[in-house]
Amino acid sequence: MMKQTLISAVLLIMAVVLPLLVGENPYLIGILISVLMMATLSSAWNIVGGYAGQYSFGHAAYFGAGAYTTMIMLSVFNTNPLIGMAAGVAVACLIALITGSIVFRLRGHYFALASIAVAEIVRLTVLNLGFTGGAQGILLTDVAFFGLDMNSKNPFYYGMLLSLALTLAITAYIHKSKTGYYLQAIREDQDAAASLGINLSFYKNKALMISAALTSVVGSIYAVYIRFIDTTAVLDLRMSIEIILTAIIGGVGTLWGPVLGAVLLVPLAEALRSNLLGSVMFKYGIVSETSPVGIFLKDGLAHAHVLVYGIITVLCILYLPKGILGFFRRGK
Amino acid sequence: MAPPSLTRIHPMLFLQSLISGLLTGGVYALAGIGMSLVFGVMNVSNFAHGDLMMLGMYMAYFAFTLLQIDPYLSLVLIMPVAFVFGYLLEKILINRVIHHPHQNQILLTIGLGLIMSNSALLAFTSDPRILTTTYSSSSFNILQDISVSIPLLLSFLITCGITAVLYLFLARSRTGMALRATSQNREAAQLMGINVSRMSSIAFGIGTALAATAGALIAPTYYIHPLAGHSFLLKSFTICVLGGLGSVIGATVGGLIIGVVEAMSSTYLSSDWKDVVVFALFLAVLLFRPQGLFGKKEGQ
Amino acid sequence: MRKTILSIATAALFALPLSADAAKPVKIGFINSITGKEAQIGENLTNGVAMAVEDMNATGYNVTVVKEDDGGDPKNALAAYEKLVTRDNVIGVVGPYTSGCSNVVASRADQYNVPLLVPAAAKEEITMKGYKNVFRLNAPANIYSLVLMKAVAAFKPKTIAYVYAATDFGVSTVKTAQENAIAMGLKEVANEKYQQGQPDYRATLAKVKAANPDLVFLVSYDADAILLMRQAKEIGLTPKAFLGAGAGYTTAQFAQQKEISNLVVSASQWTDDVNWPGAAVFGKRYKARFGKEPSYHAACAYEAMRIMIESASKSDNSAKLRSTLKAGSWNGIMGPVKFADYSGFTNQNNHPMLVQQLQNGVYETVYPAQFSKKQLIYPFRR
Repeated sequence: MMKQTLISAVLLIMAVVLPLLVGENPYLIGILISVLMMATLSSAWNIVGGYAGQYSFGHAAYFGAGAYTTMIMLSVFNTNPLIGMAAGVAVACLIALITGSIVFRLRGHYFALASIAVAEIVRLTVLNLGFTGGAQGILLTDVAFFGLDMNSKNPFYYGMLLSLALTLAITAYIHKSKTGYYLQAIREDQDAAASLGINLSFYKNKALMISAALTSVVGSIYAVYIRFIDTTAVLDLRMSIEIILTAIIGGVGTLWGPVLGAVLLVPLAEALRSNLLGSVMFKYGIVSETSPVGIFLKDGLAHAHVLVYGIITVLCILYLPKGILGFFRRGK
Repeated sequence: MAPPSLTRIHPMLFLQSLISGLLTGGVYALAGIGMSLVFGVMNVSNFAHGDLMMLGMYMAYFAFTLLQIDPYLSLVLIMPVAFVFGYLLEKILINRVIHHPHQNQILLTIGLGLIMSNSALLAFTSDPRILTTTYSSSSFNILQDISVSIPLLLSFLITCGITAVLYLFLARSRTGMALRATSQNREAAQLMGINVSRMSSIAFGIGTALAATAGALIAPTYYIHPLAGHSFLLKSFTICVLGGLGSVIGATVGGLIIGVVEAMSSTYLSSDWKDVVVFALFLAVLLFRPQGLFGKKEGQ
Repeated sequence: MRKTILSIATAALFALPLSADAAKPVKIGFINSITGKEAQIGENLTNGVAMAVEDMNATGYNVTVVKEDDGGDPKNALAAYEKLVTRDNVIGVVGPYTSGCSNVVASRADQYNVPLLVPAAAKEEITMKGYKNVFRLNAPANIYSLVLMKAVAAFKPKTIAYVYAATDFGVSTVKTAQENAIAMGLKEVANEKYQQGQPDYRATLAKVKAANPDLVFLVSYDADAILLMRQAKEIGLTPKAFLGAGAGYTTAQFAQQKEISNLVVSASQWTDDVNWPGAAVFGKRYKARFGKEPSYHAACAYEAMRIMIESASKSDNSAKLRSTLKAGSWNGIMGPVKFADYSGFTNQNNHPMLVQQLQNGVYETVYPAQFSKKQLIYPFRR
């Protein structure tokens, strides 16, 4: 127990001083922000997906709720981003409550499909309405936040880090609380849990609300960070799937699994996107840029990064169904 | 939004929407039946279904452009090839997660779909292909002013034929009965000596063949693109939930209903809200009749 | 062989002022949607840029281009731009393709002080925020509808219907089209926004037909355009003119579908029969090289990269590059180019858009008169 707290403290301190060590390197800090963002989203999803076993395939709706509410509050009422964030949490909780009341009556496939349907309805509604910016999205040229330099990356790095720490703390707390035991009982056997007198609907909704609120906080930070949102960027089904994949690959239902998933997958995606492999090989003369392999690395691989992602997914589900952390747990 | 003069019922407009909705619904139905069969027999949600449709579209396209085979005729070729592909896909990959939690099956099929669509992207580039036959945009008029698309009508008739054959196959043949038994109760079927794992492969093979057929049938009136199957994926789910899992008749009726609902919501509501109507219908069925219109099983 | 001669000849045409010893190595970034939903149009930009780089290098310039994919995701576009300016140390950046990505990158360009030349994104606001380092070659979204309506104004149409994709480009273009229509006294009789990729638009089109408009204004991407026109023929929708705003109505594939696409009018940033220097030759060389007709995106990307290379080679650093771009003027395949400040825009090339009509499977430029050889055929007939 002590050991875990100690490790967490050391990791936190490392994360806090990291930007100071990296120095003026917006590209690298940008990637770190993406890692923290995916780690938080995936950890937040883990509360309802991993602990309660309710695989929501529609978490993009909560991310979008945070992003859209914040951007609308900022562009229309010119509020402080924190007020936008709070409003976003409220909207996300409302959507979660409605979603929960519909989808928690269903199980298995039906639950997954219904969560997609709800998220798609949210996406299409935002796309069709006027005050959400519709297909044009919302663009913000600058944001004021307590005199901080919002063009620099550091406020967002620490914002994301704070939300990750908060999410992990809540997860750890739930893990040890009565709620955590109940959620795991629901995950293992809903009927048995119900016969023990656990109020299924109450605990499932509670988990979803907490998860949705945390997800929407990340959405708010993302929106203020990028300062442009549209439905493709923040409400797409792809986003929901990415969140789940990260958790699955890291290890569902474990505290650090989703974080591990993000630490591995986000840099991998960026390396594939920016064709890191190719440029390193060219730089050290391993492969010539004009050779067929070089041409494939330069032009072909650029098209192939989603393919690589698909292959990793399949391999992971087949060989590491409990994720990387789950695999090592079993080994112990 | 429509100007007020259009929102009142205009008989020709109503009939036109009904007919094109029904005909389009026929192709939806075929895609839905394939998914429903896999759902019923294997209890797996196949998120690669849209991508399997896409493969069917490309097969029809290349059969037409390279071998000069008419897309409707090429079905004779496409169906067996797709069946074998699906059979092997199940036997080699999907079979390994059949006892895993649903979410892992879903993610596996998502991964397979990504591999298929992105391999297609590498092989065929992202340029959309248009399969232009002599009859691609031909139509005839009934009741003076209602146009009926000839390729769509042909597709619809072929769908009816395939559905009838499939229904007879499931009702009469030995394999068909074994498939239905597996769909009703996997454990009991196994105890009765049915090779359920082979049944899964067959079901996935048929599901793939139907998806590819749906793709080939829609190819002459649609466009062919590596991501073209995606817009049919969520529709197929809606259709099989609407019709009841594993029910051929249910999925057929479900497909027609979705086709008509889409057309009617475009006409009387607005084109951009029609998907919302379909999803709302989907949720309503899940909530109020989870066994679907024709299903007998509880929605668990 | 003929191809080589042709390319050397054209390349020489463009590169007159530079002697071989003046070529200093320059490194330029290029952000594009190579994967994702926009990949199909992205490929045209990739090809255009590849040709520009080859042409310039063949005439004594020494250019390295660092290619970055944004997949159509603004977050990736930002990462790509930051990588280019802080790690690859490029002097200037061409791209991104999509409006969303361009908006995000443009808003950071002044922070890093590295000029961004947007080749083909249409959203007006990209160059309306007063960014000093953001330049745009193509005409913004409002011009698409403006030229189309001007082209048919002489025929005095009275009513208009809109059918368009629920995308940024679709919505932005129709929004400005509505303003232009009101100014022209056109009455709106139908307004149908659709989700892309549907197999059946017949109900939508039947509804438009029932409203009996003089003009049908369409905004669609690639294959949707063909689908819509096929189904319009089936349904028997026959207005006096189909006006297609760019994108799907300006592709070679659309032109090949003579049965349905004949006499459709469309707005384009570029055509190969326009009398701008090198336009026709570019069209031929592109077709020989890539086996298909260039879209206007390819031409925009080619010219944007060419201007970037030429200006970068004259400038020691990004700050100098900015003033070179600001002060310069060019006349190539995109016609006269000058980055000017006018009616709310900053560093915007006041690009004259063209109106073309498909006549017997060939895009003929029909408006404005000074750039065209053929007359507009009106009304539309099957």
